[in-house]
Amino acid sequence: MKIEVNRPAPVEIAAEKSPSALSIMWRELVRDRLALVSLIILSVILLIVYGASIFLDQEEIVKVDFLAIYSPPSAEHWLGTDYGGRDVFGQLIIGARNSFTIGLAITLITGAIGLVVGLVAGYFGGWIDNVIMRIIDFILVLPFLMLVIVFVAIVPKYNVATFILIMSAFLWTGKARLIRAKTLAERELDYVSASKTLGTPDWKIILFQILPNLSSIIIVNLTLNLAGNIGIESGLTYLGFGLPESTPSLGTLVSYATNPDVLQNKWWVWLPASLLILVMMLCINFIGQALKRAADARQRLG
Amino acid sequence: MLLDVRHLKVHYPVRGGFFRRVVDHVKAVDDVSFSLNRGETYGLVGESGCGKTTTGRTIIGLIRATAGEVLFEGTDLTKLSRRQFHPYRKDIQMIFQDPYSSLNPRKRVLDIIAEPLRNFEKLSPHEERKKVQSILERVGLSADSIYKYPHEFSGGQRQRIGIARALMLNPKLIIADEPVSALDVSVQAQVLNFMKDIQQDYGLTYLFISHDLGIIRHMCDRIGIMYRGRLVEEGTSEDIFANPQHIYTKRLLSAIPNADPRERGKQTALRREVEQEYAQAYSRYFDETGRAYPLKPISPTHSVAIP
Repeated sequence: MKIEVNRPAPVEIAAEKSPSALSIMWRELVRDRLALVSLIILSVILLIVYGASIFLDQEEIVKVDFLAIYSPPSAEHWLGTDYGGRDVFGQLIIGARNSFTIGLAITLITGAIGLVVGLVAGYFGGWIDNVIMRIIDFILVLPFLMLVIVFVAIVPKYNVATFILIMSAFLWTGKARLIRAKTLAERELDYVSASKTLGTPDWKIILFQILPNLSSIIIVNLTLNLAGNIGIESGLTYLGFGLPESTPSLGTLVSYATNPDVLQNKWWVWLPASLLILVMMLCINFIGQALKRAADARQRLG
Repeated sequence: MLLDVRHLKVHYPVRGGFFRRVVDHVKAVDDVSFSLNRGETYGLVGESGCGKTTTGRTIIGLIRATAGEVLFEGTDLTKLSRRQFHPYRKDIQMIFQDPYSSLNPRKRVLDIIAEPLRNFEKLSPHEERKKVQSILERVGLSADSIYKYPHEFSGGQRQRIGIARALMLNPKLIIADEPVSALDVSVQAQVLNFMKDIQQDYGLTYLFISHDLGIIRHMCDRIGIMYRGRLVEEGTSEDIFANPQHIYTKRLLSAIPNADPRERGKQTALRREVEQEYAQAYSRYFDETGRAYPLKPISPTHSVAIP
């Protein structure tokens, strides 16, 4: 008795041509319904957010309007207004754009730093590795949250760019450790020895021999980290150490819920932002899980 | 003389104690000397962990020698910096043991085989492709497989890709580190015979590292037996197989399985006898620290580690 009846028959995809890493990932995404739906939802959200934010004027949206304080959703204000009479829908769009941009920028910057540092430490080993790893250990033992709060207080002009830089300064260490560990394993393989005996210079071995073999791990890790970094931004803003109120973000909207009255009676202020964070995080995580499976041949679905 | 290895030592520190001081050394290669003549095949035999692979990797510069000299056409390779070593890479190449890890899974055959060309010669993509295709045909693979990836080939084919890569620069010396131990027996013969063919065509000298005495006998003109980082016996193929002197060599030879079932009893008896002799005579062949004695010549071609 076969149980797997409704599984589609395996599609023959040009057997003689070896699939590239990207096509394997794409196939895995398509096979995993949840990931595919997540990808579609996330794309739609991002399209709307980035598309609509072109037409919205941030200055106009953050302007205080005393005549419309806490007005519930209506035709004029689709998601009502907050305590300053500011349109929540507009803030939601601009905020989502800011939050996502920040998350993406942190992910890319930390990824780039971590990649360079991790590859160098892992490939060369010895004292170079020792020095780099001790520096990373030092950064890791620093109380991250406290230092961010101190920086926020010190930096005079605090905006999206400075926020990204401060976060990136701390968050690259995890990436560097991961990449280093993978590089350590990779450089022991004979193809690296072979390249050395063939006279290939070190930088070429790192870039063109080892890096392609790490690519899937890097993509997976960056995807999963993206969700975390959006969360970090929202979290810090919620605590009051993120972006100022003049720069709307998802965290600012959620933090209005610290007011019990807003939490209980004025759901339109905080609920949409919370839901958006939830949906985005889940979508990115589901996509990341599918990519993770694609990186490991034993776990693949398709 | 093409290659002359003199008193080569590779020691690894063993760290221990509170301050991670060096408490002892693992003597992976301990005072090994041998030389290779142009065009011959020298076999390095021994059990796992006896230092034969380390010796090969030290000669090609993958591992730093602790002491000793590796003279290649009169130049000491161990004293050269990486930059100075570069021109010699052309002349010394290596065939790796594991054809699965020695080819980068993300590279096409063209890129794998052309890698040495790109480092040493400036060729147009067209010339490069032609050269790669001709060598692929030489090693018995079809010329249109240049756009395939390593995992599309069988183990024997992969090993031949590895050999093609090593041949690309017309080297003088090839270090073959157990080139067939990862392959099944039918493919082994195929690869070995192919290696013999190209030896004549290209005038190659082989340093053949293996633990399989049958293969060594088939391939090698001269043989060095290694045990615990030292050479215990060295001689021509004839010397070693017909007249083994050192107790370890005898033991190694008695371990060769005999395919004839009628001889099985005899083989077992011989093995027991050698085992007994090994137990009794051990102290005569090794000094009190368990180290083999330096080699002593007993004939012009044959030397043994006896006191």
